[in-house]
Amino acid sequence: MAEPIQRDFLDSAVLGKLMGLPLNSRQPMLGSVSGRHRSPIKGSALEFAQYRKYVPGDDTRRLDWRTWGRTDRYYIKEFEADTNLRLCFIIDTSGSMAYEHEGKTRLDYARSMAGTLAYLASQQGDAVGLYSGMSGDQNSAHQEIPAKRGPLHLRVLLDQIGRIEAHGETQLIGAIHEAAEKISQRALIVIVSDLLFDLAPLQEAFQHLRFRKHDVTLFHLLDREEIDFDFDRPTRFVDLEGGPSLLADPSLIQKKYREAVSQYLETVDRIVNQSAIDYHRTFLDEPYDEVLARFLTGRNPKTARSAR
Amino acid sequence: MSFLQPLLLFGLPLAILPILIHLINQHRHRTVKWAAMMFLLDAKKMTRGIARLRQILILALRVLAVIALLFAASRPLAGGWLGMAGGKADTIVLLLDRSASMEQRNLETGESKRNAAVEKLTEMLQTTGQSPNLVLIDSATLKPLAISDLESLPELPQTQPTATAGNIPDLLMAGIEYLLTDESGRTDIWLASDLQESDWDPGSGQWQTIRSELAARDTVRLFLLTYPETGGANLSVTVDQVRRIRTPEGLRLVMDLYLRNDGAQSVDAEETVPVEITINGTRTQKEMTFSGPEVNMLGYTLPLGPGDTSGWGRISLPADDNPSDNEAFFVFDDPAVRKTIVYSDDNTVADAIRAAAASPNEPSFSYDAQVIPTAEVAQIPWEETALLFWHAPIPEADSPDATLLKQHVESGRSLILLPPPVDGGGEFYGFSWGEWIEDDEEQFAVNWWRTETDLLADTRGGAPLPVSDLAFFRVRQFDGEEQSLLRLENGSVIISRLVSETPGPVYVWSTLPRADHSTLATEGIVFFVMIHRALNTGVGSVAKARFAETGTGLLPEQGNYKVLATAADEEGIFEPGLMPAAIALRPDTEKQRLLAINRPITENESGPIDEEAVAGLLEGVEYREIRDELGSGDSLLSEVWRAFLVAMALALLAEAILCLPPVPEPESDPLRRTV
Repeated sequence: MAEPIQRDFLDSAVLGKLMGLPLNSRQPMLGSVSGRHRSPIKGSALEFAQYRKYVPGDDTRRLDWRTWGRTDRYYIKEFEADTNLRLCFIIDTSGSMAYEHEGKTRLDYARSMAGTLAYLASQQGDAVGLYSGMSGDQNSAHQEIPAKRGPLHLRVLLDQIGRIEAHGETQLIGAIHEAAEKISQRALIVIVSDLLFDLAPLQEAFQHLRFRKHDVTLFHLLDREEIDFDFDRPTRFVDLEGGPSLLADPSLIQKKYREAVSQYLETVDRIVNQSAIDYHRTFLDEPYDEVLARFLTGRNPKTARSAR
Repeated sequence: MSFLQPLLLFGLPLAILPILIHLINQHRHRTVKWAAMMFLLDAKKMTRGIARLRQILILALRVLAVIALLFAASRPLAGGWLGMAGGKADTIVLLLDRSASMEQRNLETGESKRNAAVEKLTEMLQTTGQSPNLVLIDSATLKPLAISDLESLPELPQTQPTATAGNIPDLLMAGIEYLLTDESGRTDIWLASDLQESDWDPGSGQWQTIRSELAARDTVRLFLLTYPETGGANLSVTVDQVRRIRTPEGLRLVMDLYLRNDGAQSVDAEETVPVEITINGTRTQKEMTFSGPEVNMLGYTLPLGPGDTSGWGRISLPADDNPSDNEAFFVFDDPAVRKTIVYSDDNTVADAIRAAAASPNEPSFSYDAQVIPTAEVAQIPWEETALLFWHAPIPEADSPDATLLKQHVESGRSLILLPPPVDGGGEFYGFSWGEWIEDDEEQFAVNWWRTETDLLADTRGGAPLPVSDLAFFRVRQFDGEEQSLLRLENGSVIISRLVSETPGPVYVWSTLPRADHSTLATEGIVFFVMIHRALNTGVGSVAKARFAETGTGLLPEQGNYKVLATAADEEGIFEPGLMPAAIALRPDTEKQRLLAINRPITENESGPIDEEAVAGLLEGVEYREIRDELGSGDSLLSEVWRAFLVAMALALLAEAILCLPPVPEPESDPLRRTV
């Protein structure tokens, strides 16, 4: 009998609050069904796109007779096609995601964000999928959930989000490349990670996603303690990813630690700028609903200006 | 360094407390599950060098602060040489240079070098509160004196001023002898001196012994408390060759007067000095003009009153840096008969000597010469004899004759040993006669003679004596430590002076004034001069008015004498023979003699020896020299806990500075860069 799946990462109050905010893509999407997102293909939506000269073979039903009446020429009136969106999550499941802040792990935070977004997307008829960075371990059968629509699929996805665990070294880069290869059509890819690994291959991974014309969003989860490094006495730091532990006097290394952090954040900024990633540096002490609200508002063309 | 509370030093291991606390702190760490190990590893790699050094420095400063606190609490004594490595001394021997030059004083405070040294040593011993055996040996008496009451040290007669010459080798030897005779255990020797060259006598043969004796003792430490500075302004006065003469105008006193400016001040400018002259208590004042470092007035004449046939006098200079050389005493009386005794059986020799000795050299004196055959030694008037020719075998040691001869030279009279015709005889101050040598065909020619001093010195005008005209045919060899005055080409020594410590000189003539021995008698000038020079030296101690130097011990300790005048101030303690004075021996009797005691002329003739010279003299001896200055006010020993508290405060301050958190750099603060 399958063990019951906890859904405590979803908060109905948050869902209710965010329900009014649509999830938009920054670029046209190629969906399989009609939806609320722009498509690169012209269709029959309400929004006027352009006039085009009639050429033989065009559907005569789409001739604009009014223009013919005025100009005595045949024009075809084209409208935007609205389609649905594929929302794919890539969640980092390395050991460092088990880092705790006030009793809640970084992975819990990631779960809440991904679950909420998945629910919202599903509610507006978009397809959702999941690629967690745990390829190769015992749960690999459940790692990859291609984007699909429908409440049944949403349930499967949420189950999987609730089931993922953080351990071992990071596999995020592999997961990104894998997702880039496997998601054949344009999609909104949301990556949730702490990026606590060597950043050198990250840019290439992002470029891969961009090359496949995906709209990429990155939620970079960090704790303020990891940046401030405010410890007052010698501490043994146990590596969450299984490496050797380290005894250090924080007063001695704090300055250099902060320098290293600063340099790291600069590198992240440079990579996300060059790769045109929608980057959100998120601290674990921020309520995730606020982060999501900011994210959603920023994507809405009508509210983006005021949100920013 | 020594401590007043040395027990607290057992707390020194507490100094490792900061290290212990640090280690405990390191082990009291908490454990944190950490994700951002990459930054931690980077930071650790980058901070390996400087931060580690900083941490070590902080720990060292904390340790230092604890040590400084413990030291301060133990009440350390600066300059605490007494307790320096090797523990406290069981015995402290104070060797005090009481020579006249130690009286040089600071005009502002009136404190002399001797005073300063005594007071500083007393203060040091009082501060340490130790009670080792304390022994004082001073340069004037050289007698060890056990000190039981430290406070009385500055008041003791043995620490009072003298006008003597100090003999530092003797003083050190006295100290070493004390160590040899008394089982003194761990000993500190403190020598207080002004390093005056004449006192230290770098040429003395005793230094070798001192070096080896001191170097051989591990338990003895030598400390020199020195005052080498020379004074600002110091005039000194010396009189010499005082004689009373009778002139048609009346009695006159003739003397050689030397005024000397030893001070470091310029002596180019002319300076008038009021000189006070006292004769038999009557004072007169004269202005004397100084135009150089020295004024020598040879034959300076003073008129005497009609009744002043005998008496005393004093020449005083105004007070200056060193009061011990401002007074010179003299005495005068009827001139003594310059009596020569020729103790010989050889009439030729005796006649030649008698003729020369009885001929007056100076018309104002009376001369007398007498021949006494060798069988009649009892006939010799020892008291009146200024010069004795001993033409007989040397008496056996410890025989009555030998004792009489020794008394003769020890009372300052002259003795000339002539070669007896017979073999045998004893030893006299290590001297004994050897074989006769002669050459029938050829005479012995003169090779060298001493022209700068003694019997054959050049005349006052600088002309040499006609020594080279002399010829010698028969010479007797001898053994003994001597200083040659005349040598022949064959190496024989004709005239020499025995090296003895006696006040009266002992000369050896190894030939005779006979035609078959030499031409001494026929070429009579050298012969005559030699006899009269020896006579002049010896007459000082037969004269009714005599001169002596301080510290020569001429005064009998419970003697029958009266002090006519002295340089010792009224409050000072007069130690017979150690201060310049005019004294009447056997006063108011037929045999009354007047004695003027003055400081030795060497006391103001030389400056201090330098550090290298001291190091050379004490080569191989571990010693520490503390150079002090008059009026410096520095104590040899003082509590220095304040310095340690300051050191502790500085260490804590430095530690606090090192512990300060780094100033945050706004642009590098990652928090400001949140999205």
